[in-house]
Amino acid sequence: MSIPLHISGNSSVHDFYCATECTWCDGCGDYGIMAAAKRAMVELGIAPHDVCLAFDIGCHGNMSDKMLGYRFHGLHGRVLPLAAGMKLANPKLPVIAFGGDGASFSEGVNHLVHSIRSHYPITFILHNNANYGLTTGQASSLTWQNQPMNTSPNGIPEDTMRPMEFVFSLGPTFVARTWSGDIKQMTRVMKAAIQHRGFAFVDVLQACPTYNKFASHQWLLEKCYDVSDEGHDPSDLEAAKKIAFDTSERVSCGILYQTEDVPHFIERLVPRKDVKTTPVEETKITDVSALMKRFV
Amino acid sequence: MNRVSIKITGAQGQGINSVGEMVAKGLKRAGYHLFGYREYMSLIKGGHSSYQLDIADSHIESSETKVDLLVCLNYIGLKRDLQDLKDGAILIHLIPGWKFSDDDKKLFEERKVTVLYLPMEKILKEMGSRPIVGNVLVTAVVWCLLGRDVNNVKDMIKEQFGHKGEKIVELNYKFVDRGKQYKDEEAGELEITLPAPDAKRKDDLLLTGSEAMGLGAIHAGVRMYCGYPMTPSSPLLKYIADNQNETGMVIKQAEDEITAMQMVSGAMFAGARALTATSGGGYDLMSETLSLNGITENPSVMVLAMRQGPSTGLPTWSGQGDMLLACFGSHGEYPRLVMSVSDTEDCFSLMPEAFNYAEEYQLPVTVLTDKHVAEGLYMQPQYNMKKAEMRRGKLITAQKELDKLKSSDRYDPSVEDGVSPRWLPGSKAATYCAQGDEHDAEGNVDETGPNAVLQMDKRMRKMESMKQNLPEPVSFVVESGKWKEERDPKDIDLLVVSWGSNKGAILDSLCELSACYLHYSYLWPLKTEKLMALASKAKKTIFVEATHQAQLAKLIKMETGFDFDHQILKYDGRPFFVDELSSQLLALSS
Repeated sequence: MSIPLHISGNSSVHDFYCATECTWCDGCGDYGIMAAAKRAMVELGIAPHDVCLAFDIGCHGNMSDKMLGYRFHGLHGRVLPLAAGMKLANPKLPVIAFGGDGASFSEGVNHLVHSIRSHYPITFILHNNANYGLTTGQASSLTWQNQPMNTSPNGIPEDTMRPMEFVFSLGPTFVARTWSGDIKQMTRVMKAAIQHRGFAFVDVLQACPTYNKFASHQWLLEKCYDVSDEGHDPSDLEAAKKIAFDTSERVSCGILYQTEDVPHFIERLVPRKDVKTTPVEETKITDVSALMKRFV
Repeated sequence: MNRVSIKITGAQGQGINSVGEMVAKGLKRAGYHLFGYREYMSLIKGGHSSYQLDIADSHIESSETKVDLLVCLNYIGLKRDLQDLKDGAILIHLIPGWKFSDDDKKLFEERKVTVLYLPMEKILKEMGSRPIVGNVLVTAVVWCLLGRDVNNVKDMIKEQFGHKGEKIVELNYKFVDRGKQYKDEEAGELEITLPAPDAKRKDDLLLTGSEAMGLGAIHAGVRMYCGYPMTPSSPLLKYIADNQNETGMVIKQAEDEITAMQMVSGAMFAGARALTATSGGGYDLMSETLSLNGITENPSVMVLAMRQGPSTGLPTWSGQGDMLLACFGSHGEYPRLVMSVSDTEDCFSLMPEAFNYAEEYQLPVTVLTDKHVAEGLYMQPQYNMKKAEMRRGKLITAQKELDKLKSSDRYDPSVEDGVSPRWLPGSKAATYCAQGDEHDAEGNVDETGPNAVLQMDKRMRKMESMKQNLPEPVSFVVESGKWKEERDPKDIDLLVVSWGSNKGAILDSLCELSACYLHYSYLWPLKTEKLMALASKAKKTIFVEATHQAQLAKLIKMETGFDFDHQILKYDGRPFFVDELSSQLLALSS
């Protein structure tokens, strides 16, 4: 069994259309992110049946039945190992994982660490609205200081995590930041992420009009700029870190860092060298006589 | 059953395993029926551990509490293990100037024990060698005391160390000869008489339950293994990982058990057979994902290798206390299959079945094993490579069939047996969502009451349809001192019921009694028809389990209202020993 034979090569945004009603708040960033995800796949010639989409739990996870594709809506915090498992079983499938900041920087932060250092060849879209939206606006580890939130009326006593410093410390091969109001930019970034050799980390700063009163759509509109407009070289790691970390005046967006020189997880597996088939295709009753004879 | 047992005790890291393994291999190759049992502690160096080999005149899967030959590599054995000596036993120890207490001397006299001191340090010094070769000396001494030809040991040394060069081999040979010299000088004609061997079994396999399970998993078509180390599941991870260059499998040592189970779930969703294994604590972490696989109807297989006690408990010892956890653990109600291995035969043959049921009924399967099976050393007739079948149920792969599919076929609640068609990501077909929220037929979130009932009923119908197709438990009876499988036993005085690794000790005990043993491999859903039929014929029923709560008996009671006449329970981390169990059974049967 060989699936997929090849990526379809053509599709339309309409192919991804699902009749289920959207349930996000007016002005939610998820509308834009979903539109960009569909566009990126269409521009790459990926049809719904060509792709595996894995969703975490949260407002973004409600996207799992708002667009077509082979989808898996899993557990909170666990989307990355689920997606990695799909990819390792069938490396021919493009696999895109979607998760929020609560899932990725609290509940399942370990998976983010190990997915980056494992270099799984998958795309990760971080829906970063800096709070737990679906449970009605509690603080996440990315919520700013001094913001009264549901269950933390005095703001959080903890420090706010700095996601870019964290991610860059793990030796990533693709780091991008974009924001939910710029569909064109998100599409460009997601396309590059899907085509990336290894693990692509895409931080999408997402407007949450209901619960995030600090980094609003308006704030993002004013602060975000596209690094490609200023001639940033994504292969320059030091320059990438500098513009990624310093968000005091402006927020750098676009592909911040990218290298295609680092082998991904499957390429590092000695037993899989020169293997052309996928584990899915190899699944059959296997004669183990040779292994068995060693116990005689 | 005529049987002999030998035990080597010492500190971990002292080499008791290498002595035990070499003696076991040598005996097996001569056709002796044997079973190996290891005890060790949760540490790397020191402590007190043992390697016991039981040898019998027919197939054997159990150990005795008493031994015919005790080898003590350090003094702790001399303080702790002397009570285990049988009448006429031989004790060898390595401790210079050890003074036995008056009680010890009395015991030796009463039981006619021969005590031999092997001056290891002195011999090593004389021969100018490092302590590691001492294991070969001990092996040779034991081998000669068993009345075997010392050249067998040389052959095994050649096989094991040949690649290290002639010099190493020669050095080891010298120690083999020195061992024989020691035996001739110190023990003379004294030898332990072994039960008769059976030449037909020379070509048997000698392997642990973990190795058998690894072979079974590879045989079943598993192409990806994700695991996180935890005793006693680690030997399975090790076996499969060590052979990756030959099998070409994808191996991932994950960051935790949650990851391992999630990766396996993703891989099974994509259509590969994938496996993970863990012990109780790891199972707790994985159980949320089992519930996810329940509602998404995603097939999965995991091995739960049990040890004794809650929390860390007795991490290197055996038990069966996780059975009800496997049947009912993790949130919500969902269909599942819980099954258990009992020896190297079903460690191999049940792995393909675990995957077949997982795929046929699209649900999570838990395969129970325990430390006793996982690390027990079994003699096993070579496996038949033609017996296993690959059953993937309603998995659709043909394009003609794929073309006809609608998204709403995936979770179609109208299917009679509860099993709806499944097709894989990448198939050119209508797509669907494997949805962790309650969902409609396509996998779209649907929180309406009637839909929730419809989908729950659909999923739970799979329990009934699967139960119909599961094999009944297997019954064994004793005929002229040997046990054999008997489909429809008549005239039952005593009915013994159990599951898992207890089978070995029970069957070996049965040879002393006239009884019928009913062995459960499939635990949940539970088939009870055969049990009820046999129980109604039996004069007395006894339930055996390595738990405090008699978990399977509770499950049987829950399903049928049936109470056993007696229960034999054990929860000290040790397996059932054959002498201990047969005297308990004997007392209860009279």
